[in-house]
Amino acid sequence: MAAIPWGVMAILLPLAGAMACFLSPRRASPLGLITALGVVACAAGLGWQVAEQGAQRYAIGGWGAPLGIDLYADGLSLLMLMVTAVVGLGISVYSSGYFNREKAVNFWPLWMFLWSALNALFLSADIFNLYVTLELLGLAAVALVALAGGADALTGAMRYLLVSLLGSLAYLLGVALLYHSFGCLDIALLAERMEPSPAVMAAMGLMSAGLLLKTALFPLHFWLPPAHASAPAPVSALLSALVVKASFYILLRLWLDVFPVTAAGLGQLLGLLGAAAVLWGGLQALRQTRLKMLIAYSTVAQLGYLFLAFPLGSNVAWQGALYLLLSHALAKAAMFMAAGNILCFGGHDRIADLDRVAQRLPLSLAAFGLAGVSIMGLPPSGGFIAKWLLLEAAMRSGQWWWVIILILGGLLAAAYVFKVIGYAFTQAVMTHEARAVPATMEWAALVLALVAILLGLVAPWPLALMEIGLPFGGEAAG
Amino acid sequence: MNWDGWLPLLIVLSSLSVGLVIFFLPEERVATRTTLNLTGAVLKLVLVGVIIWGVVHRHHYETRLPLLPGLDLVLRADAESVLFVTLSSGLWLVTTVYAIGYLEGSPHRSRFFGFFSLCVAATVGVALAGNLITFLLFYELLTLATYPLIVHRGTDAAHQAGRAYLTYTIAGGALLLVGTVWLYGIAGSLEFSYRGFVAELADGHRAALIAIFALLIAGLAVKAALVPFHSWLPQAMVAPAPVSALLHAVAVVKAGAFGIVRVVYDVYGIEFAAGLGVTLPLATVAAVTIIYGSMRALFQDDLKRRLAFSTVSQVSYIVLGIALTGPIATIGGLVHLVHQGVMKITLFFCAGNLAETLGIHKVSEMNGVGRRMPWTMAAFTIGAFGMIGAPPLAGFISKWYLGLGALDAGQGWVIFILAGSSLLNAGYFLPILYAAWFKAPPDTWPAERSFGRRETAWALLAPPVVTALLTLALGLLASAPFSPLQWARSITTLEYAP
Amino acid sequence: MGAFYHDPGIRAVNDVLSVILLLSVPGLPLLLAFPALRSRLSWPCHIALLPAVVLLAVPEVVSIEVPWLLLGTGLGIDAASRWLLAMSVVLWAAAATLLHAPTGQPADDCLTTCFLLTLVGSLGAILATDQVGFFAFSTLMGYGFYGLLVAGGDEAPRRAGRVYLGILILADLALFEALLIAAETIEDLGFEAVRHAVARSPSPGLYLSMVLVGYALKAGVWPLHFWLPLAFRSARPAVALLLGGVPIAIGLLGMVRWAPVGEINFPDIGLIIQGLGLAAMLYAVLAGLERAQLKLLPAYAAILATGLFAIALGTGLADPAAWNRYGDLAHVFIVSLGFGLAGLATAIRWLEARYHCPAMLARQADGSNPWFERWPGAVVRWAARMGFDTLPRLRASWLAEVGRLRQVRAWKRMLDGSERFLQRWTFAITLFLLLGMVVVAFVGASSWIG
Repeated sequence: MAAIPWGVMAILLPLAGAMACFLSPRRASPLGLITALGVVACAAGLGWQVAEQGAQRYAIGGWGAPLGIDLYADGLSLLMLMVTAVVGLGISVYSSGYFNREKAVNFWPLWMFLWSALNALFLSADIFNLYVTLELLGLAAVALVALAGGADALTGAMRYLLVSLLGSLAYLLGVALLYHSFGCLDIALLAERMEPSPAVMAAMGLMSAGLLLKTALFPLHFWLPPAHASAPAPVSALLSALVVKASFYILLRLWLDVFPVTAAGLGQLLGLLGAAAVLWGGLQALRQTRLKMLIAYSTVAQLGYLFLAFPLGSNVAWQGALYLLLSHALAKAAMFMAAGNILCFGGHDRIADLDRVAQRLPLSLAAFGLAGVSIMGLPPSGGFIAKWLLLEAAMRSGQWWWVIILILGGLLAAAYVFKVIGYAFTQAVMTHEARAVPATMEWAALVLALVAILLGLVAPWPLALMEIGLPFGGEAAG
Repeated sequence: MNWDGWLPLLIVLSSLSVGLVIFFLPEERVATRTTLNLTGAVLKLVLVGVIIWGVVHRHHYETRLPLLPGLDLVLRADAESVLFVTLSSGLWLVTTVYAIGYLEGSPHRSRFFGFFSLCVAATVGVALAGNLITFLLFYELLTLATYPLIVHRGTDAAHQAGRAYLTYTIAGGALLLVGTVWLYGIAGSLEFSYRGFVAELADGHRAALIAIFALLIAGLAVKAALVPFHSWLPQAMVAPAPVSALLHAVAVVKAGAFGIVRVVYDVYGIEFAAGLGVTLPLATVAAVTIIYGSMRALFQDDLKRRLAFSTVSQVSYIVLGIALTGPIATIGGLVHLVHQGVMKITLFFCAGNLAETLGIHKVSEMNGVGRRMPWTMAAFTIGAFGMIGAPPLAGFISKWYLGLGALDAGQGWVIFILAGSSLLNAGYFLPILYAAWFKAPPDTWPAERSFGRRETAWALLAPPVVTALLTLALGLLASAPFSPLQWARSITTLEYAP
Repeated sequence: MGAFYHDPGIRAVNDVLSVILLLSVPGLPLLLAFPALRSRLSWPCHIALLPAVVLLAVPEVVSIEVPWLLLGTGLGIDAASRWLLAMSVVLWAAAATLLHAPTGQPADDCLTTCFLLTLVGSLGAILATDQVGFFAFSTLMGYGFYGLLVAGGDEAPRRAGRVYLGILILADLALFEALLIAAETIEDLGFEAVRHAVARSPSPGLYLSMVLVGYALKAGVWPLHFWLPLAFRSARPAVALLLGGVPIAIGLLGMVRWAPVGEINFPDIGLIIQGLGLAAMLYAVLAGLERAQLKLLPAYAAILATGLFAIALGTGLADPAAWNRYGDLAHVFIVSLGFGLAGLATAIRWLEARYHCPAMLARQADGSNPWFERWPGAVVRWAARMGFDTLPRLRASWLAEVGRLRQVRAWKRMLDGSERFLQRWTFAITLFLLLGMVVVAFVGASSWIG
């Protein structure tokens, strides 16, 4: 057991699944589900391995760095991998009910491919490899957005494609500059050889900007709401929950390992942008009339929170941001799925007319509500733990203004979540018979939301896992 | 196996699990649901009885689960929590019976009772919380669990009330959160302990501690409906009567008041808080609330609205008792926590009976209703006189200790507040009683339902009668062993340094 | 006899019996006050008096401590209260018989309940041995009596009831304050102990004035007598019979028991009270002559008598020795006052029924009172107009202002416009490049400095 390279399996298995689904379109759905289960098993295996033996490093093909490709799994990547596995399983179950046969043929290979890219990204140990996986991820995601068909989806997909390419290119440019300066791409080696120079500054600027664009930090979020809102529900879920997190993950890695935190000013800038995102996203979400747009803007706001950790910089702050990332992934996936159910059931997602629909889908609405609890950061939920850690970090470092942002963001979130929830309580009578929603779809959403809530009760365990391999440098800066 | 470590958790779970099961019950399984509800309520009461027995015999009940590094989820039975948990679980049983009768035949009952149970689970959690973060956790859970109950009817008015409730309570929760985090940053601990734990931080953090106190109290004041954070409470009266009972007597308002008890006594320590100079402003706010609430109640024609404003006023008695620094006032405040609950729940039950049986919602429609529903109105009369503070009812005991405590603490002005409030209480309750008993009934009631020879359904009639008798007993038997008064006395000896 | 008492077994039985007896004096009427419990009894009001009769028949002085009741209270009977109890029993029995009188039909439930509650209050107050118990019972008596005044009546008794109720609330407030002061001074709230302790406390004046004002209101002593003529004019015969024996007697009894008369030397206050008493008697004579209504005669008689009582009390305050010598007569006075007023009221009803004078009825309907009897109503009306009404209105105007602000669309347009602006492609690219440059500049600058 201990010798099995679970990490490599986690990359190869979905790739194989993609092939299988592609080759045998009639059985795409069950094949995809089996693969999803397999990936979850791989993630669990890797988790066990890392927890027992500490951070893992695999040299693919026996060639180590600087020549070959290295895979590296510490607490950070492990958690990302695990949350991807859980959300991925949820999305797979949901999708098996969501897509009709012809759509499913296209969906499954793409989704498996995307999953594989994601896992590879989280395990990559060098910056070029990260670029490759990022590009693969972007392409798969664009294709999935386009899957819905129709003008809206195509425009959204096109815009998304351009943004994705632009961001990746900027990142690639930065990679080239770094390679030119130091002659290596491995993160650990880079960290050792790093010394400030104009080229490094330029690289850092380019890479950060590219990744911020892909992470949709305010004001670069403009592409996200249309893309996420126009995609099919499971695709929206995986975009919001996982794909945007990938570029944030890269940024986090670079920030922590490659570029030593020399620029406190830049941290403050990112924090300010994050704060603006929290407020702007919250306000815009509040103003939306369509449910999926509301959820998409909520993602913009929640991504802003992640960047509040940069100015704080302490161990607790990173833990908080990462915890938010985890709980948001789960909660947002559940929210999009619930929205998908409502859309599927009532044929529309106009918030003002939700009352007749919402009443008939108690499970989906419960999922939306529970996920909302986590998004608002109310206890007991993963969102609360994350917010608590961020607040604690802000208080300890004396930067109380971030506290105000965190609280305001929570209030805005409460406002827009309850704007939807309120419609469940109504005297209105169902007017038309609508399409039934398969039970798997309702339960997938509910279970993911429950896991997000559960994250609030088992916090010591993921937090301990996070510490493996000391991704945050171990010491508290604040 | 040693159960002492799990008993507090079991008490919370006894209603939490019932609530979760009920959510998934089909609407038409009335009998199952009723059985579940009552089993949960009785089981909880039995467990609470065990805990009371144990606490008296110096057992230590504490459940401790890790929540965050350095912070635990602590449920503990100490003197204060036993007082509150007994109140809420006792009244919950009564309210459950009432709610079963009240909602008979109405839609969405599974949803209602599910959230109803969650609400009580959260309240019990608030009561048993052994540190501030556990308190916060259940406090917010209570906010969430109550919202669906307030908007249950789904009318526009209900939605509006729900929005007001959320706006106030979520903002309040945010303030509480900030205060808690700040305090944790300074103190590094959040465990409740008798006579507080922040006193040793006094040097260097004085200003911060005052600010934290303000934040915490403001956050709690929203639920305790102190002026100026009170206006959600009168709006929330659109909810069904059992919910009003829950809001005003069992859970929400009480959780706020209990939180203030915790912050003043077990976080700051009353003597330290007094030294910090924060209790006098709190007493002033409470005094203003007492008078303002009563004045507003005077001019309400809607019965439940009048009662709601009355709650605004009455709950501040608790706060006033806490903020007057002195052991006797403390007794008054703590005992009013129980007494107000029992009296107000009686009044709301009666108001619900009038609405359900005769369609009466306004005071001006209550002429002669005492003849049609003598038992209900007798219970109402006892509750109202209790509120006024007439001896020998429960309210008299509270008022007695508050007044005495004020004199004891050298705060003579409070006497005038109490006198003014009693006067206003009489001003808005006695006209109701007069109309109900002595005016001639109209020819037809607004919307009468017939219950045969009885004045209304059993499940609706028994709860107010029981709580009215309890009001009487709490006053008459105040000096008996195990009465809330005796319990409050023993708490007081723990909270004041010898 | 002595041997009888020394047997511990017999004594225990005796104790239990006295507890049961004393508790049942107020307890039985309280139980019977519930309509359901008396529905099968034919003479509930008379039955309710039975324990009191039995208690009167027991010759010993008995008293019990009831530590679990209220704040720890006691009940007991001594020589003085025995007379009061006897007077009460006679009056109540008469009133209970009269309760059915006017129509011959049994009285309705509401009236009977009020009657029994008042009975509980009055008997309990007589038996109470401490202040809290007395206060509780006298409050119950007050509210019950209000019910008796109002039940089943038309506008005139209602008006009397309202005035009485207002008086009652104010009196209870004053007495509550007095009670608090007493409790602040001494733990034990027995009458004797409080009188001692208060007399020795630094400022007995506040306590004394609260007690005097409170009970003067309850007993209708001039100049706090507004309710008395109204009540006498409108009360039904049974209630008019009780007026002297119940509210007035209990009020005066409260004064005697609570005020530290005989312990304390207050010549000034004593003189003032004497003066007031004298004025009361003058007023009663003048007003009684001016408005020569037969029905009001007991009211003015009561004012006259209470004036006399005030003079005595004032003397007691000015000269404690005199009070200590003659103070016991106060109970006798109260008892005879109760009987006297009851007799007067009955006699007048009887006369009225016989002559049925229309002129008197006309005057009674017009209900004109001297201005000084109208001021409480005026104060209430004034207060309602001045302050309380405006509060909600202020708030409403404020809310309207907020609502207007909310309707301003500017915010909405701002949000809309800027989001569209952000979504424009060229702008986005510019922004992106700008960000890259800013980042470079930031990093460069900070590393330069660093």
